[in-house]
Amino acid sequence: MIFSRLFFIYLFLPVCLLTYAAARGIKQKNTVLIIFSLIFYAWGEPVYVLLMLFSAFVNYSAGLLIGRYRGQKGDTIATASAVIFDFLMLGVFKYSGFIAENVNALFSCSLPVPDIKLPIGISFYTFQTVSYVIDCHWEKVEPQKKFSKYLLYLSLFPQLVAGPIVRYSTIEKEIDDRTITVADVSYGLNRLALGLAKKVLIANQLSLIVDNTLGNIATSTTVGAWYGAAAYGLQIYFDFSGYSDIAIGLGRIFGFHFDENFRHPFMCKDITEFWQRWHISLSTFFRDYLLYVPIFGKRRKYGGLFLVWLCTGIWHGASWNFIFWGLYYGVFVFIEMQIGKKRMKKIPVVIRHIYSKIVIIVGFGIFYFEDLGQLGKFFRTIVGIDASGLIGIQDKISLTNNMYLLILAVVCTFPVIDGIKKLAGRNYAAKSAISSAAVVCSAILLVLTSIMLVDATTNPFLYFRF
Amino acid sequence: MSKKKKNSHSRRKALVGAKYIKQKRKKANKAAEPVISISAQDRENTEIDVPLQPGKKEVLKQKRAAMNTAIALTNVIVFGAILGCGFVYLSFFKHETKSDEENRYLAEFPDFSLASYINGDYTEGIADYFDDTVHGRSTIKKFIADKIMPLKGKAYGEDEVELHGAAFDHSSSPVRETLQPTTAAVTTAAPTEATTVPVSGTESASQSATQTAVTTQPVTNTTVEPTHETEAPAENQDDMNAADGEVTNNILIVNNRGITLYGGGCGNETQYAEYLNEYKQALPDVNVYSMVLPTSSSFYLPDKYKNLAASEKDDFDRMGEAFKDVKYVDAYSALEKHTDEPIYSRTDHHWQPLGAYYAAQAFAEAAGVPFPELSAYEKIVLPGYVGSLYNFTQSSKLSNNPEDFVIYKPKNQLKVTQYDTSFHNPQEIGIINDPKYLASSGYYMAFGADNRIAHVQSDCKNGRTLVIFKDSYGNALLPVLANSFENIYLCDIRYFDLNAASFIKEVGATDLLFSMCSYSAVGVNRKNIYNNLHK
Repeated sequence: MIFSRLFFIYLFLPVCLLTYAAARGIKQKNTVLIIFSLIFYAWGEPVYVLLMLFSAFVNYSAGLLIGRYRGQKGDTIATASAVIFDFLMLGVFKYSGFIAENVNALFSCSLPVPDIKLPIGISFYTFQTVSYVIDCHWEKVEPQKKFSKYLLYLSLFPQLVAGPIVRYSTIEKEIDDRTITVADVSYGLNRLALGLAKKVLIANQLSLIVDNTLGNIATSTTVGAWYGAAAYGLQIYFDFSGYSDIAIGLGRIFGFHFDENFRHPFMCKDITEFWQRWHISLSTFFRDYLLYVPIFGKRRKYGGLFLVWLCTGIWHGASWNFIFWGLYYGVFVFIEMQIGKKRMKKIPVVIRHIYSKIVIIVGFGIFYFEDLGQLGKFFRTIVGIDASGLIGIQDKISLTNNMYLLILAVVCTFPVIDGIKKLAGRNYAAKSAISSAAVVCSAILLVLTSIMLVDATTNPFLYFRF
Repeated sequence: MSKKKKNSHSRRKALVGAKYIKQKRKKANKAAEPVISISAQDRENTEIDVPLQPGKKEVLKQKRAAMNTAIALTNVIVFGAILGCGFVYLSFFKHETKSDEENRYLAEFPDFSLASYINGDYTEGIADYFDDTVHGRSTIKKFIADKIMPLKGKAYGEDEVELHGAAFDHSSSPVRETLQPTTAAVTTAAPTEATTVPVSGTESASQSATQTAVTTQPVTNTTVEPTHETEAPAENQDDMNAADGEVTNNILIVNNRGITLYGGGCGNETQYAEYLNEYKQALPDVNVYSMVLPTSSSFYLPDKYKNLAASEKDDFDRMGEAFKDVKYVDAYSALEKHTDEPIYSRTDHHWQPLGAYYAAQAFAEAAGVPFPELSAYEKIVLPGYVGSLYNFTQSSKLSNNPEDFVIYKPKNQLKVTQYDTSFHNPQEIGIINDPKYLASSGYYMAFGADNRIAHVQSDCKNGRTLVIFKDSYGNALLPVLANSFENIYLCDIRYFDLNAASFIKEVGATDLLFSMCSYSAVGVNRKNIYNNLHK
């Protein structure tokens, strides 16, 4: 089930919230959450829900073993086996087709290419299980004794399908003890409305531009390709950060405090900073669990760096363009490391902004084209070698037709809400005026989003990527 | 030194003193609290010597906290109300069953089966059902088109141009020759064709007219989700519904007219010609004609935007050169003379019946058959027509500027029989469905469905029998050619279950006409022409 559909917002969610409110005590509330989370997941994955349960059980058991054999060999064996199990699972369900295809191409053999449907959210929940097991091993957290509580952590539906990758330590205490205030629920609902609006009002509309520009790269002009890639970057941002907003908001309604996953990434001045603001739960995962893996000996600073970026790429999808995409960012982060923080700061801010935005936009181009031939065409087009002119009338029409949408999207990449709150400062009257306005704005956003969702079922321009 | 010490000592003393006073005040406040509350309720009995100053702050704090909670509570109540109303609206208001604008049945509640549950269709089907059948769907959609979509930006230039879908300059693209024809790449939920044709004049006509749609799967909004775990979209264009192939999703709206941008044949036009040559070879005694119909793309694009579409005329010319013994009927020139008349629909991807009249005239001349004047027809005007292009673009420029749909109905009696696509189950019908009984004034509503074989017998005893292979454009030819041949069999290239050559021989055809719009001739639909001969 996805959040951005009427069925979820007006049928699943109200029933879930009412049941949750009616449940007395933390035990009942947890049970309600587990049941609804499993229904939520099974709605889209009636079979793979069993795989998720199995994975939960294996990692839960590993946690128990780690606890029992703390500091002994059994601890390491349990940790290693669980991590290997997790990555094997990910390998089989996500990468086996890709690996077989490439082995076939490389050695001109004909391994059967398995056609396995990807279980929704497997990349996210697998990373959560890995982080749990390693944290247990590193004694950062106490292994969870009760399976139901571990299952609640893993399957919690706000974050199960598309993150953020919540660490066990983040919500460990809240599983057993959480207070839900009116303010929490109110905040959560506002965040939910904001996330839905980002996804439906902005990202979905931007996707039409992307389909028509990058989707037709063969005939694109240079400006058209840049425009398309920029629109795609914005689309992904509003899509993904909208999803995170919904997750964080729903979490808050249920009394959980998830960490932020995005901090206005397009405000960054360099690529290193971009990744400190973009999909934070993923980059911190790699930073904490992979960057300092001692497999590169003395060169681990750079070896680890490229390993992280390689993995970041692969994590996004079983396709070469994602691997290039990851390494592409790795190269820029490496260059920035070589220049050094101090010297980077000496470069005028305007230039740093321009540099980082160009890198990011081209990056999203790489992210878009899974077909490497088309990716090549994209590169040629953006530098004007193989383009259908610099700018065409179709670009001008599209830019004019979508002018306000684009302005809104760009403005919304800035911390507008924080800015307004800051303006109020310590003035209480202004503060309450803002929170009252937020009530009205959120309601309007939710209604608008719902109206737009009525039409989303027959969006006439289907998303066909060439 | 000692002075300094003394100083610091006295400062400390002073500090302690301040602390002491603070603590005292705090205590006093605590003690005073109930008094203050009394003072609010019972002013007369309140002692005056209560230290009010710090208490005020406390009260203010409490008040603010209460205010914050009140705002938060209001927010929760507002949300609760919206979610509650949505729940009631989605669950208890009457679910829509069909969409006239989209010409389709909406999703139905799925039937349970173990298989459909396991592959996820059942649960998704339930969600689709609720999402797709929202009460007042078309009103809400109109609201989106009128009030929300225009907020995205402005129309371009003086001609108020909107671009829906993609476009490129056909004159400057260096890769044009290597392109697959965009005409084939139909990615729209094109008008699903009618399945049953209401028999005009009968009681049940309006009822059956409401059933003239095929259910299509609703398409949920695609989420370019961060997961990247959604299935890849279908890439094989041939997998798409064959009914779609007569329109592109690239639509320009200029001066309140929707124009589908012709993408060019890119070589497919000669393949079309070769297919027809094969028909001629298989049927040497039959006159074979090709009349490929231009779309409004050829005639109504202002010069500024001309290059956004490929030239249909050039493709027609290339077809003409490739024909061997197939007679090329030039509908382009016939229509070009009448572009100031309403020969094309502004809001639909089809032409208007008047355009069909002029094209049919050109064909009648080529075939040497009689052709009645326009006065021989009863002119029926259906006002307020908003066609398929509105559905594709959701543009208020079309919905707020409806047009007249004008039908020309032969005044004489004609015997019309329709069969299924295997030429079975005959049923007598009217040449045009009676508008009185139509649910909407759509193109298909007037002419009937595509997936049928229609047979017209007229009083024109010239011994000529014509078989027409067509797409939906060709439907409009039937009424205006009805009196030019003794028999006409109208077949759709996409819905034909027999071997074309055997059928043509079986009905004793003297003439065979292929007439369809340019998109069908060079797009995916053309393959049906070949397949029909090799069934």
